[in-house]
Amino acid sequence: MNVEEQAPDKTGKNKTSYSQLEMMVIASSRLLEDQERVLVGTGLPLVGAGLAKKTHAKDMVVIMEAVAFDSNPQSLPFCVADARAVYKTRWVPTAAEVMGHFLQGGRIDVGYLGGAQVDQYGNLNSTCIGDYYSPTKRFEGSGGASDIAALAKKTIIIMAHEKKRFVETVDYITSTGWKCRSYDGKSLVYRWELGLDGGPFAVVSTMGVMKFDANTHKMYVDYYYADLGVTLGEIINATGFDIDTSRAKPMEPPTLLELELLRTKVDPEGIYMKY
Amino acid sequence: MSGSNKKILLEQVADYVKDGDRVWTGGWTVVRKPMAMVYEVIKKRKKNLHLVGNPGGPETDLLIGAGCVIKTETNYIGHEVFGHPYNFRRKMEDEKHQGELFHDDWTVATGALRIMAGAMNIPFIPTRSLKGSDIINPSLDGFQALRGSDDKVPKKKVVLMEDPFWEGDTVALIPALKPDVCLIHAQEAGDDGTVSITGGAFLDYYAAVASGITIVSAERIVPREALEQTAESNVIPGEVVNAVLEVPNGAHPTALHRFYDNDPWWFKEYLEASKDEQRMEEWLEKWVYSMDHFSDYLEKIGFKRLQKLRANPVYGYNPDIKRRLDKLGGVT
Repeated sequence: MNVEEQAPDKTGKNKTSYSQLEMMVIASSRLLEDQERVLVGTGLPLVGAGLAKKTHAKDMVVIMEAVAFDSNPQSLPFCVADARAVYKTRWVPTAAEVMGHFLQGGRIDVGYLGGAQVDQYGNLNSTCIGDYYSPTKRFEGSGGASDIAALAKKTIIIMAHEKKRFVETVDYITSTGWKCRSYDGKSLVYRWELGLDGGPFAVVSTMGVMKFDANTHKMYVDYYYADLGVTLGEIINATGFDIDTSRAKPMEPPTLLELELLRTKVDPEGIYMKY
Repeated sequence: MSGSNKKILLEQVADYVKDGDRVWTGGWTVVRKPMAMVYEVIKKRKKNLHLVGNPGGPETDLLIGAGCVIKTETNYIGHEVFGHPYNFRRKMEDEKHQGELFHDDWTVATGALRIMAGAMNIPFIPTRSLKGSDIINPSLDGFQALRGSDDKVPKKKVVLMEDPFWEGDTVALIPALKPDVCLIHAQEAGDDGTVSITGGAFLDYYAAVASGITIVSAERIVPREALEQTAESNVIPGEVVNAVLEVPNGAHPTALHRFYDNDPWWFKEYLEASKDEQRMEEWLEKWVYSMDHFSDYLEKIGFKRLQKLRANPVYGYNPDIKRRLDKLGGVT
């Protein structure tokens, strides 16, 4: 569903306050479409996918790399192997089937990922900050993110908008964006030169929704959270590379229904939303 | 290996694990990890282990923190939403620990393919993944210093090759994973080694077949005839299992489908302790080294707390358990 096509909320615009974190999760969930097969990473994507299933995408097929195909959790899973993901699932596969067969076989429409660092081409880093051999910060590692970014038909990335996270070049390319590592490791090449399809579709942050220019494949601002007081100047300041804001439109604020479902049904405990 | 009674005691598990072995720990991050067996391995002070479980959870961070590990070859080490793997981090980040841990980064798809190749007894397998990622950047290979000299480590991380049979796409050839020992915890196992798992077998079937030795602990060991009634959930045949042992709560503090959920109190205490080397050492003394038997550990956790973790048999998890550590109360 395009945000532009969304029917106006007849109950009136939400007048209660909401957070940038909530807007981020809601904005990303709106990018998921009904019927799509969505491979959901751990963390906030679990929340956004849960919300989409309860709003506009009831027949979206939620897939988790470890254990679940068409997952319909009644309670928020806190990892992609959780028994909450298994309950009411149509099939309990292993990673060999989900990743080896479905993802590698080109049957995943959307990869939905979080990350620690993203760059102007949508490369994601969830491995380390600083030098690989002596990092200043070491993270948990790729998990399935690298595979998903390489092999899904498109990826949606969700992460907080901070200058240290939105960088010109990521310290380590865990998951490939539009212009990624050459085989010899010495330069950046367009992903299609390596025979990779797909690519990042959007980066949804705590300030707006970024997309990638069809010609340059660099990130630009598509929507910004004007209703929350976010300005384009703030986005420019929180981004570590030159970002085009000339196409930016204000984001439609959350509907009361979206907020209520998010707060009371999807993540009532605030496991990820940290209420 | 098709003999009938393969039962051993928890105290015997470490006899199967040699210093320097490549060890696969079953389960998935904070789910169905063979924790009781891992505590036993730590207690017996095993050294230079090479962990190949994909992905790793608290058992991996614990083994690293206890000084049992020199190599990790996996796609992830962490505790999911609970918090970060501080022992692993310290080894990678602190200058004084430089060179104590070699870490080789992989991915979920390639972890699955590599252990599958190991099970098939083929030396490598191609994948469409990895291209464009620093995971195959030749100058960023955590095992570079070991390749060609350590026979537990593949001579190369990856070989790029044009498909010679069909369209000529470039694929990455990746080495099979060949664990020496595989440790799995399950809901039930037969005394002949047949393993019954629900809630996701993850990659444990492949690991059991690929490994030199496979040991399975289970909540219940039952006569093989009992498992003939549940053939659909029997995911590993006894032929590839060398030993079984009955350890109720053997995956604690990780979750076991239909039996118990994650123990948030454990994660809270562990995460706090693991941030600091000295406190980690005290934690190990308190929860591992000073325990004569696993039953002492469970007694220390307490009946009340174990009751709180019990899964609802219909859901497979505990719908009442609180999972947010910063707002976690006591065990009431």
